[in-house]
Amino acid sequence: MDLNYTPEDAAFRKHARTWLEQSLPRRELRTLDDRRAWHRKLYEAGYIGMGWPKEYGGGGARPMEQAIVADELARANAPAATNGLGIGIVGPTIIVHGTEAQKQRYLKKILTAEELWCQLYSEPNAGSDLASLRASAEDRGDHFAVTGQKIWTSGGAIADWGLLLARTDPTVAKHKGITCFLLDMRQPGVEVRPLKQITGSSEFCEVFMTNARVEKSDQIGKLGEGWAIAQTTLSYERGGRSLARVTSYGAQYRRLVEAAHRIRRHGRPLIDDAIVRQKLGRIWAELEVERYNALRVLTILERGEHPGAASSLTKLSYSEFEKRFMELAQEILGPYGQITEGAPEELKLEIDTAVGDHGTWAHAFLWSRAGTIYAGSSEIQKNVIGERVLGLPKETRADRLGGRR
Amino acid sequence: MNFSFSEDQTLLRNSVRAVLDEHCKPAHVRAMMEDSRGYGEDLWSEMAKLGWLGLPFPEQHGGAGLGLVELGIVLEEMGRAAYPGPYFASVALGGLPLMLGISPTQKERWLPAIAAGQARATAALLEESLDWDPASTTATATRTPDGWKLSGVKRLVPWAHVADVALVPARAREGLSLFLVDPRAPGVSLRPMVGIDLGTRSSEMRLQDVTVAADALVGEPGGAGPLLEAALRRAAVGAAAEMLGAARRCLDMSVEYAKVREQFGQPIGAFQAIRHRCAEMLLEVENAHSAVYYAAWALTAGAEDATVAASICKSYVSEAARKVCGDAIQVHGGIGFTWEYDLHLYMKRAKALEPLYGDAEYHRELITRHVVAAL
Repeated sequence: MDLNYTPEDAAFRKHARTWLEQSLPRRELRTLDDRRAWHRKLYEAGYIGMGWPKEYGGGGARPMEQAIVADELARANAPAATNGLGIGIVGPTIIVHGTEAQKQRYLKKILTAEELWCQLYSEPNAGSDLASLRASAEDRGDHFAVTGQKIWTSGGAIADWGLLLARTDPTVAKHKGITCFLLDMRQPGVEVRPLKQITGSSEFCEVFMTNARVEKSDQIGKLGEGWAIAQTTLSYERGGRSLARVTSYGAQYRRLVEAAHRIRRHGRPLIDDAIVRQKLGRIWAELEVERYNALRVLTILERGEHPGAASSLTKLSYSEFEKRFMELAQEILGPYGQITEGAPEELKLEIDTAVGDHGTWAHAFLWSRAGTIYAGSSEIQKNVIGERVLGLPKETRADRLGGRR
Repeated sequence: MNFSFSEDQTLLRNSVRAVLDEHCKPAHVRAMMEDSRGYGEDLWSEMAKLGWLGLPFPEQHGGAGLGLVELGIVLEEMGRAAYPGPYFASVALGGLPLMLGISPTQKERWLPAIAAGQARATAALLEESLDWDPASTTATATRTPDGWKLSGVKRLVPWAHVADVALVPARAREGLSLFLVDPRAPGVSLRPMVGIDLGTRSSEMRLQDVTVAADALVGEPGGAGPLLEAALRRAAVGAAAEMLGAARRCLDMSVEYAKVREQFGQPIGAFQAIRHRCAEMLLEVENAHSAVYYAAWALTAGAEDATVAASICKSYVSEAARKVCGDAIQVHGGIGFTWEYDLHLYMKRAKALEPLYGDAEYHRELITRHVVAAL
C-alpha cells in the first residue's frame, strides 16, 4: 500500500498541467465548431482516446494517466471535449466487436470528432428493464429497416451516427432477440426532438425511427448478440473520470464554504453555526472517501483487472453522495441556491457542471437527480450488488420465459 | 500509487484470521465475559510469540517495525472476532504514544516488555466531562522534591485492572503534561465500569496524591499537547479498524442468513427489501475500508492530510458501523435479538467503540476546522 503518486505519474501530471496552462481556450466556446476545434487540440496533444489501443489511433495509456489528464482538465475547469459517447463507448465497442472494415471506416473519425455519435438504447417502456426494448430491425434482404422510438439519447441533436440496439427476433427470450447496429442519423427515417428536462435544458433527445435504413455492413456482432455486446459496453467504465469527479466536487465545496462565510443567520455567519459545521464536515468526509475509492478502483485497473460488478458500488456511492452534497448546498444557500439569473456575483457557482456550461447551483442541484437514474438506477445497482457481489438469490421474475413481444 | 495490500500484508491477515478462528471462537469470547481478568493468558502468550504485541514498535525495541496499516489489519481481524483482551489498549492506546514520545530509557523500559507480553499498557485519556480534547484535562500534577504528585479522576480507562503502566495526562504549573503511572501504586484506586460490550473491560481511575518519580514524566512539563493529539488520532484510527472488522462480520452473517432463512416460500435474500439493505451495508463497509486504510497509510507515511484523514476515518466509520451492525439485527429479525445468537457480540464491540477517541461529531468539527483553515 503506497498512496503516493510515482515520480513518473507526478511528472506526467505536471506536463499535462503545463500544457493546459498554455492551451486552454481564452474565450468561452460558443458554437459546436469552437468545441470541435478544442477537441481537436486535445486530440493532437494525445489527450483524447488515451486508453484506445495505439493501432487504432489511441494513446495506449494506462488508466492512471487517463485519470490524471481528466483530473487536470477538471482542476483547470477546462471546457469539455465533445463526442464523449463516441470515445467512451462506441469506439471501444467497434474495437472489440467490429469488423476490420468497420474499424477502418469509423474509428479515426470518432477520435477527431469529425463524426459525432450517440447511443440509442433506452426506450419509453424500456428503462431499467432495457432488454424489453421494442424498436425493431426488419431484414429487407440488402438492408435492415428500423422502426421504433428511443429516449434519453445524449447528444442526439448533434449526432451523425448512433449505436443502436434493436429487436431482430421477437419470438425468442427477450435477451436473445436483440442485435447491435450502427445507424446513420442523417436520413429521412430518423427524427430527433430535444427532450426538455427539469433543468430547463436539453442534454437529451427523443429519437423516432420510421423504416430507417441500416446497411448490412453496419451490423455489430452476430444477430441476437446485441444484449451481450451492450453488457460489455455498459461496464466499459475505465475509471477515467474517477479523480476528476472528486476534484470538481472539491471546487464546488470550496465555493460553498465561501458562501457560508457570507450568508448569515441570527446575526452571525453560517460558518459559525454548529449544525452547519457538522453538515459541512460530513460532506467533506464523504467527498474524501469518494477520492479514496477512486484510488482503489484505479489500483485495480492499473493491474489490468476490471472491478466487474463491484463498479456498481462505485456508481451507487458517488451518485448518492452527489445528491446529499447538492441538498446541503441548497440548505446553505437558501433561495440563492435556486437562482438561475441575477445571483450575486460572489455566490455564483463558477464550476463547469457535468454536462457543460450551466454553472449555477440551481442547475447542479437539479442535475444531481439524474445520476441515481441514468446508467442503471440505484435500485438496479443494488440488485446487481446483491446478486453478483454478495451472491444473494435472484428474485422470481415473470419475464424469464420466451414468447412473442 | 497502490491502494491494495502487499503480499506480506495479506499473509499477515490470513495468519491473524487463522489464529483467531482457532483460539477466539464465540465460545471463548463468551467464556471471557465471565472471567475475572477478562482475557486468556494462553492466547496472549501466543500473540507475543507471533510478534503481534510489538507489531508497530521498532525492531531495536523488540518490535516488528511495521506500520499502522499492518496494525489496522490485526485490529480489523480482532473486531471480526470480537476479541476480548487488552490488545488495543496495550499496543495501540498505550504502546503507540510510548513509542512516539518518550525518552530512550523509558522506551527501553517498556516497549520490549509490552512486545514480549510481559507488560501491558493503557492510557487514561478521558475525564468526567467526556471531552476528548486533551486541553480539557483537569487532573493536576504538582512538583515534589524528587518527582510529582498526581490527583484527579479518569473515566473509562481500558483494561486498567490488568495494566502495568498507564499514560496519564495531568495539568502542571507549566501546562498539560503526561506521566507514566503504575495503576497498582498507592493512591490509585480502580472501580470497574461495566458496559454493554462485555469483551472490553474499563475502570474509573482515581488518583489521590499519587507520587511518581521524576522520570515518570514523558517529554517536557507542559509539552504533552501534540503527543496526546497524535495518540488520540492513532487510537481513533485503530478503533475504526476494529469497528470495520465487527461491521464486516455483521454483514457476512446477514448475507449468509438471508440465503438460508425462508419466509413466504423463498429465501428472504430474494426480496429486494432485504437485498437492497445488504447492498447498502456492503457499500458502507467498503467505504469504511477505504477510510480506515487511507488514514492508516497517511499517518504512517506522514502524509500532508494525515490529521484530517484520521478524523474523516473515525467520523465516517462510527456511523457506517452503527448502520451496518444495526441493520444486521434487522435482517436477522428475532434471532438477532437473542443473547444466544452471536451477532450481538460484534454489534456491541462496534457500539462500544463508537463514542471513544472522539465520536463522529467531535471529528466532524475537526474536519470543518481543517477545511475552513485551508481555504
